[in-house]
Amino acid sequence: MSNSISRLAVISDEQASHLVSAAAHADLAESIMAADYAGRPGRQPARTGWRAMRRRWMIGVPAVAALAAAALVATSLGSPGDKLGPVSIGPAKAQAALVFTRHGHYIDVIVRNPLADPRRYRAEFRAHHLDVTLKLVPASPSIVGTVVYFGGTGTSAIKVITAKERCITGGGGSRCPVGLRVPVNFRGQADLVFGRAARPGERYESTTTATAPGEALHGLTIRGLTVRAAVRLIGQRHVTVPVFHVTSASGLGAIWPASKVPGNWYVYDADPWAPGQVMLWVGRSRVPHQPQPSPGTPVPSPAPASAR
Amino acid sequence: MRYPKQVAGDQRRRQFEEMYSANCAAILGYALRRTDRSDDAADVVAETFLTAWRRLDDVPGEDGTRLWLYGVARRVLANQRRGERRRSELGDRMRAELSAVHLDREYTGRSKEIATAFRSLSDPDRELLTLVGWEGLDHGQIAAALGCSRNAVRIRLHRARARFASAMNHYSGRPVPTIAHVNGNAGD
Repeated sequence: MSNSISRLAVISDEQASHLVSAAAHADLAESIMAADYAGRPGRQPARTGWRAMRRRWMIGVPAVAALAAAALVATSLGSPGDKLGPVSIGPAKAQAALVFTRHGHYIDVIVRNPLADPRRYRAEFRAHHLDVTLKLVPASPSIVGTVVYFGGTGTSAIKVITAKERCITGGGGSRCPVGLRVPVNFRGQADLVFGRAARPGERYESTTTATAPGEALHGLTIRGLTVRAAVRLIGQRHVTVPVFHVTSASGLGAIWPASKVPGNWYVYDADPWAPGQVMLWVGRSRVPHQPQPSPGTPVPSPAPASAR
Repeated sequence: MRYPKQVAGDQRRRQFEEMYSANCAAILGYALRRTDRSDDAADVVAETFLTAWRRLDDVPGEDGTRLWLYGVARRVLANQRRGERRRSELGDRMRAELSAVHLDREYTGRSKEIATAFRSLSDPDRELLTLVGWEGLDHGQIAAALGCSRNAVRIRLHRARARFASAMNHYSGRPVPTIAHVNGNAGD
C-alpha cells in the first residue's frame, strides 16, 4: 500500500537537499534567529554578526579539531600508506577517492580526490560500515576539497579534522576542515558535503568571502565603495556581478537583479557566485543596518595566491 | 550579570543551529513533496523553523525533534492551502533558488491511477498515508508527529488505507494488491 504511495514521491530528502545551497540555508537560519527572539523582552540574542553567522553555516562545522588531528592529516595527505601508527585501510591507495586511516577507536576520513564519482565515496564508506552520505557541491576555488557542510543524526561523536592555512574558511579562520574523525562504532547517519570545482557557468553552492586568497577578488578592497565604483573595479578583473544581495532597513536580505540596484548604493561585502562572477552585498546606507561585519572578517594577505 | 545571559543566548543559538542543520533537508523534502510550487516549500521551511525558534524550549530532543517539526510543517502547509499564505521576507535566497526548480507532478500509467485515487482522498487520509509512504514513519512516530495516540494512528491508518484501496478500485478498476497488509507494520 504505502509502496504505491511512494511511487508518487518524486523527490527524496537527498534530492531536496541538492536544490538549496548551504548559503541559502545559512541565510534563512540566520534571519530566523535575528528576526525574533521568542518574545523575551529586553534582550537580544548574542549576535556574532550576520557575516560571521553566514559563514559558520556555510562551513557548518565547528572548527574544534585537536592539533593532533591536524598533524595526522598532514601525514596522511603527505605519504599514503607510509604511516607508523595509523594503518591505511583504504582500497587501492593511489586511486582511492577517500583515505580511511584507522587510529585507535577512530577512523579518519580524508577526501583525496574531490572529483571522483559520488558512487565511489558511498561504496567506500559502506565498505567501512559507516552510514555516511557524501555529496559534492560546486564550491568557490579556495575551498574545493574541503568540508562545506556536515550534519545528520547522532553525529556529535564525529570530530572535524582541520588543516591549518589550507584555506580561509567561510568563518574567517585559517583552520580548514578537510576531513572527519569518525568513531569506529558510529551508529548514526551522517551527511557530509565536500566542495568540488565548479564547471564554467555553474553556480557555487558553497563559498567563502570573494576576497579570500584564491578567490576572484583577492587583493581588492570593495567594502564601502559605491555599487558603480565596485562594479567598475571588479570588471577590470573580468569578473561580473549578475545579482545583488540587498539588505533592507530591517536587516533582512533579498536577492535583486543588477538592473534594479542604484549605482550610488554602498557595497558591504562580496561572495563568489559562479566562475568569473560575484554577488555583492549592498544597501542604501553606507553601513549595513544589522551588526557590522565581524572583526574576524578575513583580510586579504599581502602575498597574492594562485587562482587554484 | 550579563555574562550568563550571553551564554544562554549562545547556547540557544547553538541548539537551533544544530536542530536546523540536522533537519533542514528532511523538512524541505517534506514540503517539496506536498507543494505544487517549489518556492512555496521555502515558506514552509521558513515558517516551520521560525516556530521552532520561538518555541525552542518545547521542541523534544533526539528523534522527537524531526517528528515535532513534521507536525509544525503539516500545520503550516494546511494554513497555506487555506490561503493563509504568509510570504515572509525570511528565506528569500532559498525561495530564489527553489523558484528555478520545476516539480513534475504529471504521472502516467499506473502512477497516474495512484495519483488520481490519492488526490481524491481527504487531507488527513493523505497525510497519514504519506507519512508512511514518503517519510517512512511507523505508527509510534506518526502518533508523535500528529499529537495523538498510537492506537488512534493504527485505526485511522487502517481506514485511510481502506479508502485509498476503494478509490484505486474506482479509478483503475483494479484492486490495490498490497491491501492485505493493512494490519501490518507501517511501511509495508
